[in-house]
Amino acid sequence: MLVEVTEDVTSLASGGPQTMFALLGATTLVLVAGVPWMLPAAAGGTNLKSPQNVEVYIVDDTFILRWDRSSPSVRNVTFSADYQTLENDTWLKLPGCQSIANTKCNFSSLELNIYEEIKLRIRAEEGNNTSPWHYVDSFTLFGKAQIGPPKVHLEAEDKAIIINITPPGTKDHGMWSLDSSSFTYSLEIWKNSSSGDRRTETVYPRDKIYKLSPETTYCLKVKARLLPRKIGVFSPVYCIKTTVENKLPPPENIQLDAENRIHVLKWDYAHENVTFQAQWLHAYLKKIPGDNSDKWKQIPNCENVRTTQCVFPKNTFRKGIYLIRVRASDGNTTSVWSKEEKFDTQFQITLLPPVIAVKSTNDVSLRVYISATEESENRAMNHPYSLTYEIVFWENTSNAERKIVDKRTDFTFPKLKPLTAYCVKARALIQDEKWNKSSVFSDTVCEKTKPGNTSKTWLIAGVCAALLSIPVVVYVMKLLFRCIGYVFFPSSKPPSAIDEYFSEQPLRNLLLFTSEEQTERCFIIENTNTIIAIEETHQTDGEHKKYNSQTSQDSGNYSNEDESSESKLSEEFVHQETE
Amino acid sequence: MTSRCILQTALLVYFSTTVLAVNYDLLRFQLSSSSVECQNLLLQLNGTTKDCIKDRMNFKFPEEIEKPQQVQKEALLLVTLDIFQKTSDIFRKNLSSTGWNEIIVNNLLEKIHWQIEHLEEILEKIKEEENFTWDDRTLLPLKRYYLRIVRYLKAKVYSICAWKIVRAEMLRSFFFLDKFTNYLPN
Repeated sequence: MLVEVTEDVTSLASGGPQTMFALLGATTLVLVAGVPWMLPAAAGGTNLKSPQNVEVYIVDDTFILRWDRSSPSVRNVTFSADYQTLENDTWLKLPGCQSIANTKCNFSSLELNIYEEIKLRIRAEEGNNTSPWHYVDSFTLFGKAQIGPPKVHLEAEDKAIIINITPPGTKDHGMWSLDSSSFTYSLEIWKNSSSGDRRTETVYPRDKIYKLSPETTYCLKVKARLLPRKIGVFSPVYCIKTTVENKLPPPENIQLDAENRIHVLKWDYAHENVTFQAQWLHAYLKKIPGDNSDKWKQIPNCENVRTTQCVFPKNTFRKGIYLIRVRASDGNTTSVWSKEEKFDTQFQITLLPPVIAVKSTNDVSLRVYISATEESENRAMNHPYSLTYEIVFWENTSNAERKIVDKRTDFTFPKLKPLTAYCVKARALIQDEKWNKSSVFSDTVCEKTKPGNTSKTWLIAGVCAALLSIPVVVYVMKLLFRCIGYVFFPSSKPPSAIDEYFSEQPLRNLLLFTSEEQTERCFIIENTNTIIAIEETHQTDGEHKKYNSQTSQDSGNYSNEDESSESKLSEEFVHQETE
Repeated sequence: MTSRCILQTALLVYFSTTVLAVNYDLLRFQLSSSSVECQNLLLQLNGTTKDCIKDRMNFKFPEEIEKPQQVQKEALLLVTLDIFQKTSDIFRKNLSSTGWNEIIVNNLLEKIHWQIEHLEEILEKIKEEENFTWDDRTLLPLKRYYLRIVRYLKAKVYSICAWKIVRAEMLRSFFFLDKFTNYLPN
C-alpha cells in the first residue's frame, strides 16, 4: 500500500503538495487503525472458548479431571469445575478444581457416594470473562474407576514362592471397600535369566507358586480383576531367589477318596522312616485377605502317621470345600507343607447301587423298575446330580448281554420268548463333564416270562377250527357209510342203464328179479264166436288196434308194465287165431 | 420301546449336556438349596427385634432386580453372585456385640462360600463361551443397597440392635434371591 501511495505521490507530483499530504495522512490513519486488526486477537476480548476433550480419570481412590485448552496460548486462563448429583439440582464447587492453571485437577477429597450418578461441568476463566460451560455426561465414580496395582510381598522356599497380596486401594471407605474380597488375582512369573517362558496363574491373596527350581531368581507381577469387566493394571515387577533345596521334600499327589463312611487320604513320598501330619482349612478363608495360618486344623487320625495314608470318618467334613496339606518329618527336620489340594465334599460320595423290581407282563415282556434305597434317598438331598442307570439284561441260559444306559427308571423289554427266564442287574452312574462316578452292580433279579397270547390264540383258533370241521366230518362220515353200504349191503334196484338196453319185459324178467311174481293170464277158449265177435269188433278197430298195439307197445315202455304185457299177449293170440 | 429308541434318547441327553455347558437345572437346584440352608442358619441366630424399634431402617432393596424378567440370565447370575459375596462380607465384620454362636456363623460363611465358588466358575465359563456384553451398571443398584447397610452398621457402631436389623434384612435378600432363581432358563 505504501508503495502504491508513493507511486501515486510521484505520479501526482505535478498534482500539488496539498493532495500529497492528504493522501499520506489518510494512509497512515488507515495503517494505524488496521494494526490491531491484523495482529492476533487479545484475551481481553469476550470470546473465551470452553475447554475441550474433558476426561475423568479415576484409579483406585485418586480422582482426576483432565482437559485440553481450546486455543493454545500462554495467558492468564484458569479453569473451574462444578459437580451436581442427580438428587440435588444445584451445582456445587468441585473441591480441588477451582481456578486451576494447568489442564488437570485432582478432586479426590470429594466425599460422595461412589455409586451415585453425578454430572460435572468445567469452564475457562480469565479475569471476569468466562467461557461457556463444558458439560460431562453423568457417570458414577465407581463406573469410571480403574483398578490400580496391588501390593505384593514375597517369601521364598526351595521349590515354591509364598506370595501375600494386598488388594489395591486400601483406604477404609475407598473405592473398593465393598469389593476387596471379591478380587481375583492373576500372576505372571518368569525366570530372570531366560527371556521366554512366562507362566500365568490365578492366585489367592495368600498363596504359593509351586513347581519352581531351587536357587533360581524368579520375577513376577500381579494384577487384580473384578467381575464383570474391570481388569486392573499390573503391579511393578518383584524378583526373588529361591532357596537351596531342602533335605526333606514335601509329600506329593494328595488324593482323597470316599468309601462308605470313611475318607481315605493318600499321598506319595519317596523317602522312608518319616512321620506325616495332615491339616485342613475351609477353602473360603483363602479368599479373605489376611493371615489365615492360624486357622489350619489337624485332621483326626492323621498326625504322626508312618504310612503314606490315613483314614478318618466322613462326618469330619460337613458339606463344603476344603483344602488339605501334608508335611513329613524325620524327627530332626520337617519338610515344607505340600501343595494344598482342594476338595469339594459333594464329589466325595459313594453311589449306592439301585434296587430293581421285575414284573412279567401279559404280552410276553418284562417290566423293570429301578428305585433307590432309602439310604441313598437321604443322600440324594445333598447330591443333586441326576443319575443315569446302566442296565444289563440277558437270557438266563445264554451269555449274550444287552446293555442300556438311560436316565429313566421304568423300562420295558418287549417281544421276548414266552416261558423263558431272563435276568437283570443295574448300577447307578453319574456322568458329568467334571467327574464320573459309578456304583457297584445291584443284585441280579431273574424272572420268567408268561406263556403269552400266542398260545391262547392258537387255542381259540383250534376251537373254531374244530367247530367248523364238524359238518365237514359229518359229511365225510355220511359218504363213508354210503360206500360201506354200497359194498356190503347193495340195493336191489336195477341201475337205470339197464332200462335203456333191455326194454322188453320178458328179458327183463329173466335178467332181473323183480319183487313181484309175474303171473300168466290164462284164457280158456270155449267159444270162438265170441272171440271173433270180439275180434271183429276189434278188427274194425284193426288199424286202430294196431295203432293201439303200437301205441300200447310204445306206451308199454312208459305205462304200467302189467297192462302192456296183457295187451301184447292178447294181440299175439288173436293173430294166431285169425291165421 | 426299542433299544434303538433308547440309544437315541441317551445320545440326545448326552449331547445336550455337552452342548449346553452350563447346566441351569443343576444350578437352580444348588441355588435354592443353598438359599434354604443359609436362611435356616440365619434363623438360628437370635434376632428378636422388639427392643430395637428405634433402630429400624428401610434399606430399600433395589426394585429393578425385583422384576427379573427384564434382566438377562447372565446378569441374574452376576446379581446372585454379588448377593452371596456381600452377605459373606457383612457377616465377617465385628460381631462381638451379638453373642451369636460362632459355629453357626462359620457354617453360614462356609455355605455362602461354597455357592460363590460354583457361581464364579459358571460365570467364567459364560465369559469364555458366550459373547455376552457385560454392563457395569447392572450391579450399581445392588451396590448402593449394600453400601447403605455397611454405613448403617458403622454408624450404629455394630450394636446388637443394628445387627439384628441387618440379619432380618439379609433374610429378606435371600427371599428375593429365591425369586430370581425361578427366572433362570431351563
